[in-house]
Amino acid sequence: MSAAAVDSHHAEDAHADPHGDDHHGLAHVAPVKVLLATGGSLLVLTIVTVLATKVDFGANINLALAMAIAVLKATLVVLFFMHLRYDRLFHSVIFVGAILAAALFVGFTLMDTNQYQQTNIWNPDAPPAAPIGPRPTNG
Amino acid sequence: MTDHPHAPHEPHGDDLGHGADHGHGHGSPFIAHHYDDAQHQFDSGKLGIWLFLAQEVLFFSALFVAYILYRYHHPEIYSYAHQYLDVKYGAINTAVLIFSSLTAAWAVRCAQLNQKRGLILCLATTIVCACAFLGIKYIEYSHKIHEHILFGRYFDPCVSAGGGELLTRNNNCAGTKSTVVWDFGTGTPTAGCFTEIDQDPRRDGVQADCTVKEYEVSGPEGKTETFKRDITGQCPEESPFGGEATSSAAAGGGKLEPGGKGGESVQAKGGEAAAHGGGKPCWRPAFQPAVCKKGVGILVEYGDNVEREHTRIKAECKAAPKPSDAGDLFADKPQNLELGKAAIHPRHQLTVHEQHELEAAGPPPEHINMFFTIYFAMTGLHGIHVIFGIGVFLWLLIRAIKGQFTPDYFGPVDYAALYWHIVDLIWIFLFPLLYLIH
Amino acid sequence: MSTPQAHAHIDPGYPDGPVNEPDFLSVEKGLKSWLLTLDHKRIGMMYLFGILVALIVGGAFALLVRTELWAPGKTIVGQDTYNQFFTLHGAVMVFLVIIPGIPAALGNIILPIQLGAPDVAFPRLNLSSFYLWMAGALLLVGAIPFGGLDTGWTLYTPYSLETKTPVLIAVSGVFLLGFSSIFTGLNMLVTIHKFRPQGMGWFQLPLNVWAIYATAIMQVLATPVLGITVLLLAVERFAHIGIFDPTLGGDPVLFQHFFWFYSHPAVYIMIIPAMGVISEMISTFSRKPIFGYRFVAYSSVSLALLSFLVWGHHMFVSGQSRLANMVFSALTFTVGIPSAIKVFNWVSTLYKGDIRLKVPMLYSLSFLLLFTIGGLTGLFLGILAVDVHLHDTYFVVAHFHYVMMGSTLVAFLGALHYWWPKFTGRMFSESVGRACAIGVFFGFNLTFLPQFVMGARGMPRRYWDYDPQYQIYHQLSTIGAFVLGVSIFVTVVSLIASFWTGKKAPRNPWGGSSLEWQAPTPPTLYNFEKPPVLHELYNYDDLVEVEEDRWERRAPTELESHEVDEAEGHGHGSH
Repeated sequence: MSAAAVDSHHAEDAHADPHGDDHHGLAHVAPVKVLLATGGSLLVLTIVTVLATKVDFGANINLALAMAIAVLKATLVVLFFMHLRYDRLFHSVIFVGAILAAALFVGFTLMDTNQYQQTNIWNPDAPPAAPIGPRPTNG
Repeated sequence: MTDHPHAPHEPHGDDLGHGADHGHGHGSPFIAHHYDDAQHQFDSGKLGIWLFLAQEVLFFSALFVAYILYRYHHPEIYSYAHQYLDVKYGAINTAVLIFSSLTAAWAVRCAQLNQKRGLILCLATTIVCACAFLGIKYIEYSHKIHEHILFGRYFDPCVSAGGGELLTRNNNCAGTKSTVVWDFGTGTPTAGCFTEIDQDPRRDGVQADCTVKEYEVSGPEGKTETFKRDITGQCPEESPFGGEATSSAAAGGGKLEPGGKGGESVQAKGGEAAAHGGGKPCWRPAFQPAVCKKGVGILVEYGDNVEREHTRIKAECKAAPKPSDAGDLFADKPQNLELGKAAIHPRHQLTVHEQHELEAAGPPPEHINMFFTIYFAMTGLHGIHVIFGIGVFLWLLIRAIKGQFTPDYFGPVDYAALYWHIVDLIWIFLFPLLYLIH
Repeated sequence: MSTPQAHAHIDPGYPDGPVNEPDFLSVEKGLKSWLLTLDHKRIGMMYLFGILVALIVGGAFALLVRTELWAPGKTIVGQDTYNQFFTLHGAVMVFLVIIPGIPAALGNIILPIQLGAPDVAFPRLNLSSFYLWMAGALLLVGAIPFGGLDTGWTLYTPYSLETKTPVLIAVSGVFLLGFSSIFTGLNMLVTIHKFRPQGMGWFQLPLNVWAIYATAIMQVLATPVLGITVLLLAVERFAHIGIFDPTLGGDPVLFQHFFWFYSHPAVYIMIIPAMGVISEMISTFSRKPIFGYRFVAYSSVSLALLSFLVWGHHMFVSGQSRLANMVFSALTFTVGIPSAIKVFNWVSTLYKGDIRLKVPMLYSLSFLLLFTIGGLTGLFLGILAVDVHLHDTYFVVAHFHYVMMGSTLVAFLGALHYWWPKFTGRMFSESVGRACAIGVFFGFNLTFLPQFVMGARGMPRRYWDYDPQYQIYHQLSTIGAFVLGVSIFVTVVSLIASFWTGKKAPRNPWGGSSLEWQAPTPPTLYNFEKPPVLHELYNYDDLVEVEEDRWERRAPTELESHEVDEAEGHGHGSH
């Protein structure tokens, strides 16, 4: 058994399921209660997010609310369905790393686009932006 | 620095089945020889699948970038176009996928605990749910294909999101025919857009003074035109955007109904027009920036639900008299209708809510096709993942029935479930981003 | 790392003796045993064969381009054909040669042996990666009979949406090649994590392994974006979805963002493995431990992470916002730090070393010089104002050839010579190898130094015609290209000829310290006939050259206390 495998076993024990449910074999076994509770919460949150759209909080708050619920649901899926709560830390590192890379992709691309979007592509009749000087603040 | 016996892989080569010698007591025949034991194989596979999921996140990320970028710059496209989607279908699909995710997670539990029947049941349920998901997607897609609510170049619906009919490039919507002749090669209208129009602030909608003629088209490539009749009656005054005669009612008439209402709306409109015109076709100026960049087309309403392939409409318009008291609201030249905004100048001050409804029901903003480009790209790619997942789960089901999964060897179930959860996860974001736009 | 029982297991070395098992080349015979093999070494050799063929195809296109540019106006072909030549040269070299060159071919063969592992973690996935590569290569090259590709390897929209050439075929190939690369990276990551032997901590890994690890991170995180980009491009082309098409409301610059989000890390996917093999070779042929092991290792990983932050420097003149330009420009300069750390550490390793000018070392020294030039000229291009002048000129062409070819391909050739005896069991001709290494170095500089000059003077890249004032530079460049081409061709022929003419190679011809030199030559099916022994990495004290090109380990290294190493080795073993 390699060093990696030995260590991993310890790591998993440390994260052992709080319910004291069965942890034997190769990996953590998700208790039925946890599975059902997760699935139920996800369905409830789906209804909540649909209902929340029907109330007008203003476009931005509605969007933020919908995204917050989506993130909550995603977290539930990742932690319990995908066992990341009980799994080794490095798998979380991989997953969070991938999401960070995607966030970086979004952020840097968004940082760019204000300018050329305004000038010539979407609205051919608009005057081109001034070649020098501060650019308009309004996206 | 010294020397360690190379523990994990002791006698390679001379002993192909050496994995079994390690005394970990695994009995599964599916432990590959280059692994030390079942745990080593399971952990390697698990790391591998997590890396694959990381890859999946990045694979989808580009589409999210496109989504966020276009939404950030053009929120009006999203708030207009999402009305073509039906929240009901989206919500049901979300629930179906969540349930399948639950059964997938449960399948892993069953495999770990050696519950063969439970495993088979869970896998089968997951497959059924995945198929149900695809079935609902099929209903949504086929509806959109029928209505020309498609991506990019092929976005050409007969009705606006608010229910009013639009000029289309195909020019073959049931019950109507327009003057616009679209050249798909160059992507421009070759005839039929009129700028000799006016907007009188005292009246709703766009006014035009036109003589409209209907021709029968025949012969090779529709070369021969035969004059059929004059369309004399102008349709009763109403907003060209599907609203009714007054602006406050325009908001009501263009009531925001979630997608899927297209066909009915056409029929309803047709019926209305027939009622107005007593079965006689009438014409009116109609507005669709995606077809006529400037000006309007002239739309003939027949009051029925028939597509007229061999009919051509031609019109000649002259500028309506300029209203003398228009003040500085309007320039001398024919109006270059401002794209992306309601072309109606209401007589009374609208409330914020009315304004919102009006804009939503009004003429579509330019390039709403981009919403559907992104919608189809995202849901399409997600759908491909669902199809792939069904294949994987079928394979698992067969192996489960053969009894190949044991507490020592259930890796494939676990990995496939993880894949399935990420498919679910992506949908959890797609649902509010595409269907639940406020 | 020291442990109490260490002495008991010391095997002073692996004197060449008869190996009781057949080597991996002769364990099974026949075409089928190769095509369906799960052995990482055979898969690696199939990659190698494919890559060498692609290298010759790509090189032929390069020579055609250079021939056409011998004189202004038409020399051998017209403009359209010329466009296809440089496009196919770029696409073949980037996607088929440089990217898979070290990680997929040499990495596949060597990395598991360096870890003392019997195979990679997922042998079947490994074979599928190879077939994905093969299919991708056939599609990419298959674009030629369908009319060639003329978009440039960057496939920029909107031209790639309009051109009549078979973009669809080529991008399907790129899509498959992307997934081949992803799966290779995934395989390498899992192998490095899960197949290290007990006692080999993260800081006892050969630097080549670190480099491949860093590369694999980028392969897994960046390449999917290439996949989706070319997928969208393909769909755009046949279904007109409009995402990159401005006439439908799409955004062609978005394509550039997508493309460079992958393709900038791809530049590091190309260069970092080269840095890894250079670290191995410089240490071995200087008979000195690598200077600043940890800095070299960390700089590989930090380069991998930084590579995700600088893609916008390809788009300074694409209409990017000023903010993005400034941020990307500033971040671009930070890339210089880890690169410089590596160069300083290699030079410090050479310092007072017992330098052996074997063929791999000649390539390594070429690499040092060429990479330094390539890296420093990159800084010019990172300056916003200067880039406006230099963008899309031959200066850029020369810069990236110094990095991609002068560095990566030279390192690849060096590494190929370094490990060639190990996996083929044959020594190559040293004299031909040296002559070619020198030919590559001078040919390369003759080709690309003039390009810096004419680029700075305003010669645009990708042009078929030019002003006569540039002719002398073009002619020098063309002469250099032929020297280079002949040298590489002779190298390939000489290496292949060594299968029949070379003398049998010993286990350790160069006196390397890592585990692959303990394996039989060529290795057996599962690489080692008995468990290898971990010695201190990059310590050459007890390696003795018993005759020319044959080294053996004589006496065990004296035990030193490396508590720090041990603590780390333990702590990091858990992943």
